[in-house]
Parts: sequence; C-alpha cells; structure tokens
Amino acid sequence: MATVFMKWLETSPGDYDRGIQLLTWGRLQPLKERIAANFIQPEMQVLEIGCGTGTLSLLMARRGAHVTAIDASVGMLAEAERKAADAGLSEAITFHNLDVTELSDHFEPGRFDVVVSTLAFSEFPPEVRRFALNEAAQLLNPDGRLLIADEMVPAGFWAKLLFWLVRLPLVIVTWLLTRTTTTPLRDFLQTVAQCGFVPAVSESHLGGSLQLITARPVAGAEPAQKLWQAVPRLRHRVTLKTLLLDVWSYTNRISPPYAKQATGLYRIGHPTPKSPVLLTGNYELTVRRLVRQLDGNVDCWLVVANSRGINVWCAAGGGHFSAEDVISALKTSGVADVVTHHALILPQLCANGVDGWKIRRETGWGVHWGPVRAADIPAYLAAGRKKSLDMRHVAFPLKDRFEMATAMNVFYGIILAVVGVIFWRSHTLAVLAAMTVLGYVYGIFQPWLPGRDGLEKGIGLSAATLLGLWIWSWQWANLPPVTLFNWSLGLGVLAFFIGAEFQGMNPLLRGEQANWTIEGVVGLATLALYGAGQLWM
Amino acid sequence: MAVKEFLIEEWGNLRELRYLQIDYNPARCIGCWQCYEVCPIGLWAPDFEHRVAKFTGPKGCVACRACVLQCPEEAIHLRVQKN
Repeated sequence: MATVFMKWLETSPGDYDRGIQLLTWGRLQPLKERIAANFIQPEMQVLEIGCGTGTLSLLMARRGAHVTAIDASVGMLAEAERKAADAGLSEAITFHNLDVTELSDHFEPGRFDVVVSTLAFSEFPPEVRRFALNEAAQLLNPDGRLLIADEMVPAGFWAKLLFWLVRLPLVIVTWLLTRTTTTPLRDFLQTVAQCGFVPAVSESHLGGSLQLITARPVAGAEPAQKLWQAVPRLRHRVTLKTLLLDVWSYTNRISPPYAKQATGLYRIGHPTPKSPVLLTGNYELTVRRLVRQLDGNVDCWLVVANSRGINVWCAAGGGHFSAEDVISALKTSGVADVVTHHALILPQLCANGVDGWKIRRETGWGVHWGPVRAADIPAYLAAGRKKSLDMRHVAFPLKDRFEMATAMNVFYGIILAVVGVIFWRSHTLAVLAAMTVLGYVYGIFQPWLPGRDGLEKGIGLSAATLLGLWIWSWQWANLPPVTLFNWSLGLGVLAFFIGAEFQGMNPLLRGEQANWTIEGVVGLATLALYGAGQLWM
Repeated sequence: MAVKEFLIEEWGNLRELRYLQIDYNPARCIGCWQCYEVCPIGLWAPDFEHRVAKFTGPKGCVACRACVLQCPEEAIHLRVQKN
C-alpha cells in the first residue's frame, strides 16, 4: 500500500521518510535496520537500486559497507547526499543519478556482494523488473545475495480481499491527488526464480503485503532469452471494451487520465526474425489505431515505450517522451532477442523530442523515421522504408477537425453543464447549444478564418458571430438593448475561447497552452463589462 | 506587482512563439537529411547535387523543433526574428 503514495511523496523528498514510515504502518524502518544488521558485513560492496532519500544506504554504510546507491530522481538524491554529509558518511556512499536500465553501462559484472532494493521494483513495469533482475544476477559475484523488500499482492483469498479493500480507497485518493498509481508485485518469487536466482521469503508483514525476499544467484545461469512464442499478439478487435474506451477517448482527450497500453514487446501477425521493428508510445488509442491499420496487412514487431500515456507528438514536445525512453524500451523489451537486424522504425512525429542520433550512438540500432499516419505504414514498409511526400506531411482534414471539435465540446460541455446547473440553470441549455454549434462551425471553417494562431482566429470567429447576431436582431428579432448587450458579450467571448482553445488541438498551429493567460484576462474583462453594463442599463 | 510581471512574461512568451523562425547555416550541413525526414510541414528538401539540405522557406513552420533536435551538426536553430 505504501507505494500508492510514493509518487505523491516523491515530489517532496523532505517528507518522504516520515510518509513511508506512516504508510508501511511503521514496518519498513525496522525492516531496513534488520537488513543492515543481518545481511551487511564490513567492507562489503553493496548496490542499492532506488535509494530514495538514502535511509538504507546510511544504515549499511554505518555497518562499514561500501555502498553504491542509484536513483532516477535528482531531488531524492540531493536529499540523500545531504543526509550522508550530515552523518559524515559521504566517503562510504557513492550516489549515481541512474535509471535501472543503465546499470551494466556503469558497473562491471561480479562487482557486488549484495544488491538490495526497497519499494522500487513495484514501481517498474514488468519487463523492466525482469531486466533489472537479470542485470542484478550479472552484477553479483557468485556468493552474492539479492535482497528485495516490496509491496506484494498476498496469496490466499481472504488476504487478497482484505488487501484490495484497504488498497482501493488509497488508490482512488492517490489518483485524485497525483493522477498516478502503482502496481504491487504479483508472483514475484516466480519472476525472481526465472531470472537466475534461488529465492526465499525471509520476512512477511501486514498479511503478506510487505515482504522481504532474499535470493542467491544460480551458478552459470544465463540471462533468459526472450522467446518469440512468449511475445503477446495484438489483434484488431471491436468489443464492448474498445467501444467504451472510444467513448472515453472522445470525452477525455484533453485531460488525463488517458487509457494506457502496457509497455513491452508485442507482435502483430506472424513476424519472423527479419520482420520490421516498430516503436510507439503507450497511449492506448495510438496503439489500437496502429493495430487496426497493421493487423492482417503486415507482420511486424511492436515495441510500446513509456510516453506517460500521451500521444507521441505531444509527449515528445512536452518532454515526456525522449531518447532515454526509447533506449530503455529497446533494452527491457527483449526485442534484440527475437530479431536478427537492428533497424528501428520510430513515428516521425516523435522527432521533436526523441534524439535519433543519441539512440544510434548508444544502442547501435539504426533509426528510421516512419510515416506520419499509421494508415501509410503498410505502403511505407512495402516500398522498402521509403516515404512519399504525402506520408511526411501533417494535415488536419475535416474528419480530424470534427473529431477534435467533438472532444472539445464534450469536455468543456461537461464543465459548463456542471457549473451552469449549479449557478445559472435557466441559461445552461442555451449556452451548451451555442458552444456546440460554434465548436463545430469553427472546426469546419477554421482553415479559412484569417489569423496565424488561435487567438487571431478566435477574434475572427467572434466577429462573425457578433455580426450574425446583430443582423438577426436588426432584421428579425429586434432584441431589447440589454438582451442584445448580454448576448453579444456571452457569444463573443465564447467564440473567442473556442478559437483560443482549439489552437492546441490543431497540428498546423504553433504551441499549446499558450493562450490560457490571455483567455483569463479576456474572461475577467468580460465579467467587468457585464457588471458595468447591468449597472448602467 | 507580481500579477503585472506574470502578465508581461506571458505576453513575451506569446510573442516569442509567434516570431520564432528557422535560422539555417548550410555551410555546416553534411547532407544527412534528417531534417527532411522529420519535418511534418515539408520545409526541407534534399539537394542531391550538392549533398546538402535546402530550406524552402518559413511558411507554415509550427516551431516543433524536430529539425533542430535531429541535426547532428547544429546547423539549424530556432530564433526570434522579426521582419
């Protein structure tokens, strides 16, 4: 249960230790002390994976061990280094800002007597766990020992039931606070055994949900090869689940949580060792649309890398998807075991954040930029990885504009409906109708509206709307001045907002989220004008 | 005061986004054509004769920085330019 809160706690390293102590019901700290007391001898070479703020590193260094501690979080390491300096143990501990997939690049095989990790493995996706265990087996000397204390799904029906009853509320609260969640380890003992260890449960707490596993490497064990038969196959299917996911993706395109595809290696069709290797992000909709285009047309391998559940262009542009994520996916997915070539096809649209030369340099894989649209991939592959001009260029055709207008209307419609029903019931339907119509009109006509960005196009839409309203009022409706004034303000600002918000959804306009301040200022100015109008009239 | 500074900064960011333009130094180009491979708008073209990339003009550039990141020789930059 503890790791549910870890993502949240990670943002404030100072509170981290106190929080963990609370969340593990006080069991983790004594567990760490026992690890140091029972397994660590003076002069031992120890590697800690995911050291956090360094509590365990310090305990082990006090026992006289030489500790190498790695963590992927710079903030955590800074706190750990500060604590080590305060305790006068800076000499005994070396901290490295490393991802677990980079271990073998930095340390030679057989270097460590102990590899230890607490509450880190449950944060890794399954293929990274296996990769890290294989690495640990290589880094340990033959008499070495692996120690892992982590959150597990307990065995046994009642223990499982109790575990989920306690965990579920925590998951919901954590998600609301941080929009992240973690996965406790399942059948972890078996995984450890498969990666070249003889494991045993050394301690079990909280009904089996917190365990300490100790393991010794099997002499001469080779890292397990990925077998192509074991690679899961992705197929194009329309089921109730995919339909519900479609509804979710239509209504929830703008804000997380997005449905995610589990990272790792997949096969599409019946690929051979010579079949092409494609890589994409773990946004569920991306993967499903890709599979829809490829299944039945192409036999290939698909590596799903961690783009934080975001589409590749936005993720790469926003710094959530980079060369490191691709390199990590290449290593941990085991794709090199199933193919005989080293040609990697990346989505062209992740080139704004994924450094192709870094991947070529560090992995030896050749990087090829595939077409923009998944529908072009079969033709691109058939032509021997040749892109026509058409395949390179981003377009924003009517179908896509309609889809984006729908996503925007539904998302803001729900917000407006909730606010409207509470504060302004009589006008809610009218506002929703106006937004729906304006959203679709804008979606259809925005390529022909003048302006370089959403703000300018929004002013155009606003002007067109007001002109229409005034002509209608003047010729037919003859609205009273107060009504006309209020309608003008409301419709004008709504049209402007739609233009400004649509900027981030349009791949042919620059930037995203750039307009929020302007929208805020315009919104406040409109409110002031409305107030002044009511007083004056 | 803080509000005013925030607004000025935001306005500056907006202006910057609007005036960012490709600054290309063809003398550094080694002809790997990665810019051509990744540009989603089609602003780069391969010049087979001289084995360099040609920049065909800034019209439509969305400032995605793909060509800037992929250029191994740092021949391409995005800079604020007014003209």
